[in-house]
Amino acid sequence: MPSYKLTYFNVRGRAELIRLLFATGGIPYEDVRIGRDKWPELKPKTPMGQIPILEVDGQVYCQSMAIARFVAREAGLLGESSSDQARADMLLDGGAEVGELLKEVVLEKDASKRAEKKKEFSEKSLPHFLTLYEGFANDSGHFVGESLTWADISFFNMMDFLTAEFPSALEGYDKLNKIIENVKSNPGIAKWLKERPVTDH
Amino acid sequence: GVHCGACRKMSVYELHYFNNRGRAEPARLLFAAAGLPYRDIRIQSEQWPEYKLKLPMHQVPVLEVDGTMICQSVAIARYVAKVTGHAGKTDLEQAKVDMLVDGIDDVMTKKGDYVWHEKDETRKMEKKTAFYETTLPQFLSHFEKLLRTNNGGDGFLVGEGLTHADAWFLCLADDILLDFPDIFSPYPKLAALVERIRTYPGIKEWLAKRPQTPF
Repeated sequence: MPSYKLTYFNVRGRAELIRLLFATGGIPYEDVRIGRDKWPELKPKTPMGQIPILEVDGQVYCQSMAIARFVAREAGLLGESSSDQARADMLLDGGAEVGELLKEVVLEKDASKRAEKKKEFSEKSLPHFLTLYEGFANDSGHFVGESLTWADISFFNMMDFLTAEFPSALEGYDKLNKIIENVKSNPGIAKWLKERPVTDH
Repeated sequence: GVHCGACRKMSVYELHYFNNRGRAEPARLLFAAAGLPYRDIRIQSEQWPEYKLKLPMHQVPVLEVDGTMICQSVAIARYVAKVTGHAGKTDLEQAKVDMLVDGIDDVMTKKGDYVWHEKDETRKMEKKTAFYETTLPQFLSHFEKLLRTNNGGDGFLVGEGLTHADAWFLCLADDILLDFPDIFSPYPKLAALVERIRTYPGIKEWLAKRPQTPF
């Protein structure tokens, strides 16, 4: 069995999807969380000067989505056929785009600009995205096929961040709510959600 | 299900995009490298408002495979690479390819930010300067190192053959060389890689005949 070591800051951020996937797959890994003061020393040792990084038997990988895809593959959560996998990829990438827009809202320091961006996001970008994704979800509460894939888990993770800012975002989206339920009730994930460190992002 | 090699060749591929290289070009390069025929649809701007409503996320590029639509340029390129055998051989190779593609995507997004999104002319120039003086050199020096870790750096980015990481890299190179023809002089292995991809059978012919567009 390979040894996996994930290094990131002590936040959910860009590592949480990876952690959720390890949890779903029941795959043991070292969940290293470094303090900001340790970062300057580590940075030049990383492939692109960024974290998260995943070390697998001595090889170092960066880029959170690339790492997540690798763990999803090891955990059997990628999707079965190439076209299922492409569907999962496309849904994840579309979700990442909205994630970036959400970040722009949350990181805006100027109070009136922030209010403006928040309004635009909640009135345009967010409903547009949720309507599309309600359409992508099937009746059993899955995005790809009839079983849990990393597309569902990634959506759950994104909603975790999003509902911190927009608590009632998912009201009325029946299939999307089913997806959230399916993810939360997965035993590996349920256990992780109970045990994971609580951080503000 | 699993498709056999012969079945794949009979699939109908249609790539929808605008008439430029942009985010469709990596997929076009991969089709060319494999000699895999596809319909290279280039949408006119007048058609766009109605056209986009048929697309999964109202964006292009979209790859239609026997009627199924896949959007998101990185997902599309990865799929074409899988179908054509250019995705990386092992799980770890595929992870390495993915990580390099994501790194290139990050840089392209940063460039896109000042080219397309920044409206203020002064800020635009500031961001462009920061891109070429800081962001890009940092990125290229990481990549020169990463290339060298692959058997000395005289082949492709990952493993033994061309992967979608190389396709993305050529697209980025094409773009940045327009602004700064000497950008690769500190990075000899990357410069040689660009030439290697340019002369790859199939890609070479495509580069000679593809529509010439500013971006």
